[in-house]
Amino acid sequence: MNNVIKITAYTMRDQLRHKSFYVLLGLSILFILMIRGCYDGGYTVNGEMVNNATVAWHVSKIVFHLIAAGMFLMVSMLSMKIFSRDHEDGSVVLFLSRSVSRWQYVLGRVTGTWVLCLVFMFILHLTIFLTVWAKTGAFISGYLSASLICSINLLFVIACVCFLSLYLPDFISALFTMGILFVGFISDGGYQILNSDIVRSAVSSTINADPALWRVLYPKVFMVQSYADTILGKSEFHNMGPLHPLLNLFFYILLIMTLLLVCFNKKEI
Amino acid sequence: MIILDSVTKKFGSFTAVDNISYSIKKGESFALLGPNGAGKTTIVRMLLDFIKPSSGSITIDEMSSSNPESRKHIGYVAEQHMIPPYLSGLEYLLRNASLIGLTGQDAKNEIDRVLEMVSMKGEERKKSSAYSKGMKQRIGLGAALLGQPKLLILDEPVTGLDPIGIRDVRKTLEILRDKGLTVILNSHLLSEVEKTCDTAAIMYKGKILVKDTINAILKDHETLEDVFFRYIEHENE
Repeated sequence: MNNVIKITAYTMRDQLRHKSFYVLLGLSILFILMIRGCYDGGYTVNGEMVNNATVAWHVSKIVFHLIAAGMFLMVSMLSMKIFSRDHEDGSVVLFLSRSVSRWQYVLGRVTGTWVLCLVFMFILHLTIFLTVWAKTGAFISGYLSASLICSINLLFVIACVCFLSLYLPDFISALFTMGILFVGFISDGGYQILNSDIVRSAVSSTINADPALWRVLYPKVFMVQSYADTILGKSEFHNMGPLHPLLNLFFYILLIMTLLLVCFNKKEI
Repeated sequence: MIILDSVTKKFGSFTAVDNISYSIKKGESFALLGPNGAGKTTIVRMLLDFIKPSSGSITIDEMSSSNPESRKHIGYVAEQHMIPPYLSGLEYLLRNASLIGLTGQDAKNEIDRVLEMVSMKGEERKKSSAYSKGMKQRIGLGAALLGQPKLLILDEPVTGLDPIGIRDVRKTLEILRDKGLTVILNSHLLSEVEKTCDTAAIMYKGKILVKDTINAILKDHETLEDVFFRYIEHENE
């Protein structure tokens, strides 16, 4: 276990040395600076001034999802090269020629990348949370806990990209994972729209249609995002199938991590 | 200390190591000789569990080589030792020291000791991307010597080194041999092997042609080079 913690710490330090991390950090800061302007202006709808707190709440909710979506790209970029870079620069030999087992190495690399991205996303969400507080004096309850819930999605992406990168070129493995997320976005997003109050009241027949089995079993990345959204908005969560999306995703993370460990154990260094 | 029992390694239809059995005693300075593609590096990679044998077993200190604990007291230098370019020599050594359980002042003292041994004192704070091939090799050797390992595995350790570097490595190996350290040396430099090793095995096409003490292998004023070519030419006939 000690080795896992050491490799986790090395991974975080190593990732912080890469230029791509600072490019993403710069872009995020730019994004936050641009967003700040949205909280300053007075908004008028149909000739009436809209409450600042209401605007801030809606903007923050949109920004919450934009940050989470941006993080998908960031974790894909950071995790797609973990194994190939380690192979090229000798890091894998450094660890595995010592009394470090392969599962410790893989777990350390995945955990390090995840913790770094989790902290990065949390800081971005915290910045928005504090900006809203400073500008309007209002707290968006659940904003930070929703951020932590969304971090489970990041772990799924890292595990998936790392596993695929054992067999596919780095960029293709990241692209393939994005494809998995996109299919889930269409499937789960469609389900959420069809079950929204507006569509329900307009077209009552659609809500009775049961989704196909593959849609119920599919990795529920978007559903976890929707679940986090319901924490923000204190609204009702429409789950697809009997299993909670968090449990669905935990199952997939466990499955992919097991496959990753088994396959990496067979890999020739 | 090390036992290879009927070890075979196949890559597809190609047999890199063919049913090899031998043992290396504690304190033995053993050289593995052979032309390129003989299977020397494959054996080293199997010892470190980088690759698994297709059949047979490898035991290090009464532990299977697949057990990470078997590598606890092993120092390893690769043929072209790679150091992550974003790390300095010192950071690389600190990372190695930490992985073998050395921290704080103990790690610093140990790093100072090995830096002196490999003549890299004063160069350790440079990024490894600024190191020459030989400097990387020296830092690699320094990392392998951290924590007084019981077994040193050197895969062509003098690749890229200038004559002074080669002499330094030889001197270091002689010191380690005298201290009773077990050494496995893969090398093309037969004259160096003759000076530093007690026993040697000549490999060709995945098989061991001869394994004995250097003195027993050499006959009638022969050099190791003469013996090496005699065996290889005999196999090619």
